[in-house]
Amino acid sequence: MIEFKEVTKQFPAGNVVLEKVSFLIKPGEFVVITGPSGSGKTTIAKLLIKEIEPTSGEIVIDSENLGLLKAKHLPSLRKKVAVIFQDYKIIPDKTVAENISLALQIINFPKTQILERITHLLGLVGLSEKENLFPGQLSGGELQRAAIARAVAVEPSILFADEPTGNLDLATAGEIMLLLKKINQSGTTVIVSTHDLNFIDLASRHLHLLKGKIVAEDTESIEKPPKKVKKK
Amino acid sequence: MNPALKNIRRSPYQAIAAVLVLSLNLFVISLFTLVTLASQSILVYFETRPQIIAYLKDTAPESLVNETITNLNSTGLVKSIKYVSKNDALKIYKESVGNDPLLLGTVTQLGEVTADILPASLEVSVRSSSDFDHVAKVLEESDIVSLTPQGVKEIDFPKNIVSELAAWTKALRTAGVALAVVLSVTSINTIGTNVSLKIASRKTEIDTLKLIGAKNSFVLKPYLWETVIYSLIGGFFGWLFSFIVLLYSTPILVTRLEGIIPLPVPPLTVFFLLLFILSVSLLLGLFSGIFAVVRFLRR
Repeated sequence: MIEFKEVTKQFPAGNVVLEKVSFLIKPGEFVVITGPSGSGKTTIAKLLIKEIEPTSGEIVIDSENLGLLKAKHLPSLRKKVAVIFQDYKIIPDKTVAENISLALQIINFPKTQILERITHLLGLVGLSEKENLFPGQLSGGELQRAAIARAVAVEPSILFADEPTGNLDLATAGEIMLLLKKINQSGTTVIVSTHDLNFIDLASRHLHLLKGKIVAEDTESIEKPPKKVKKK
Repeated sequence: MNPALKNIRRSPYQAIAAVLVLSLNLFVISLFTLVTLASQSILVYFETRPQIIAYLKDTAPESLVNETITNLNSTGLVKSIKYVSKNDALKIYKESVGNDPLLLGTVTQLGEVTADILPASLEVSVRSSSDFDHVAKVLEESDIVSLTPQGVKEIDFPKNIVSELAAWTKALRTAGVALAVVLSVTSINTIGTNVSLKIASRKTEIDTLKLIGAKNSFVLKPYLWETVIYSLIGGFFGWLFSFIVLLYSTPILVTRLEGIIPLPVPPLTVFFLLLFILSVSLLLGLFSGIFAVVRFLRR
């Protein structure tokens, strides 16, 4: 369970990216966070893995207050909460398989089973034929799939996909969203941040951010968000 | 280990620079170790030789000789005393000149060298070179020591040789240690900077790994392995160069130092030298690696 309690994030330059944001996400939910660029979606992802600290407020994940989490426990938090980054962050001089293998080595996955696990993950994301290709040889959609495979490899309980459809055509974006839905159906809590409203009907809940504040929240699947979102 | 080898392959010239600096340093350390061991052996050789030799009068009675030996022992400064009779002296003389008929007197008009013309002597080893004066004084005061034609007692007293040798050995050791320290600092700096540059150039990758849950130890282990690889290769080459120098200089050294230091140097000594150099090298490498990693983590 993720709980944001009155979380504010102000950067040293003075710009307030999140302002007293509160929400609760239950285990197994599929939540879509929408909002225009600069509304604070990526900041939420960074706060979830403690890449940055909130200026005020509390973030609690599975009854653990991140503000009290010591630096030495960061790796275990980041194994629990995996992020699919907007810029993928796939290591460029390693093949797709090597990138996934790294994530598995980090969690001390048994060496003898790494290859089998990579094959399984690549099959899941539809990259079975591309395991030995380097990121530079992949399309945007394939890179996104590779990033998903790497994130899912560590079997996180929470998966945050930051703008996973941002750079993709509509068809590929749809495939990626369906893949995330499939991951959610296996029990992983999935949070997707996007400014694209086309796929929010896949979500069990929708949060809409505007200028660092949640301005709308809906617990039903929404086909046309502007019409169905309820004002807080 | 594999990521470390990959890092090395990616920047071979940096790796060569690191290995060369380390090799040079360890070559010098290895040579100084050999020189120190040799000078120590030379010092021990001279210290264990009879340091004071007093030649005795032919007329010296045995009782007086024994009394002098007792007096010397009672000072507590003497390590050993050996009485060399005239016959022993002849034997030693013959051994030292070999079959040379000229030196044995068999072809000269003076006739063959016999025990009669050689003096008996007392060969005294002292515990410390600082005790020379005291022990020599006991012999000076004794009536059994023969006199030179100038009326000076015949006592060989190589005090200066041993003390000078000890001073040279100490100076050599100090110079070696100082040079090794300077070169070690240079090596640590070169390897440390090399690894720091590599870490800095992979910062994005390191940050990504940390974001997906990698611990510092996981991220930085390859860089420490890299320094270990540099160390082992650098150490081996440093030892190899010194071994080659030793091999080529052995024929020259044998003519001057045979019997004083063991030549050719025994294989076991050479093997222990390799182990010593690899240990020093590993220590330097790991120190450089840790230095670079700590610098990165503190940023």
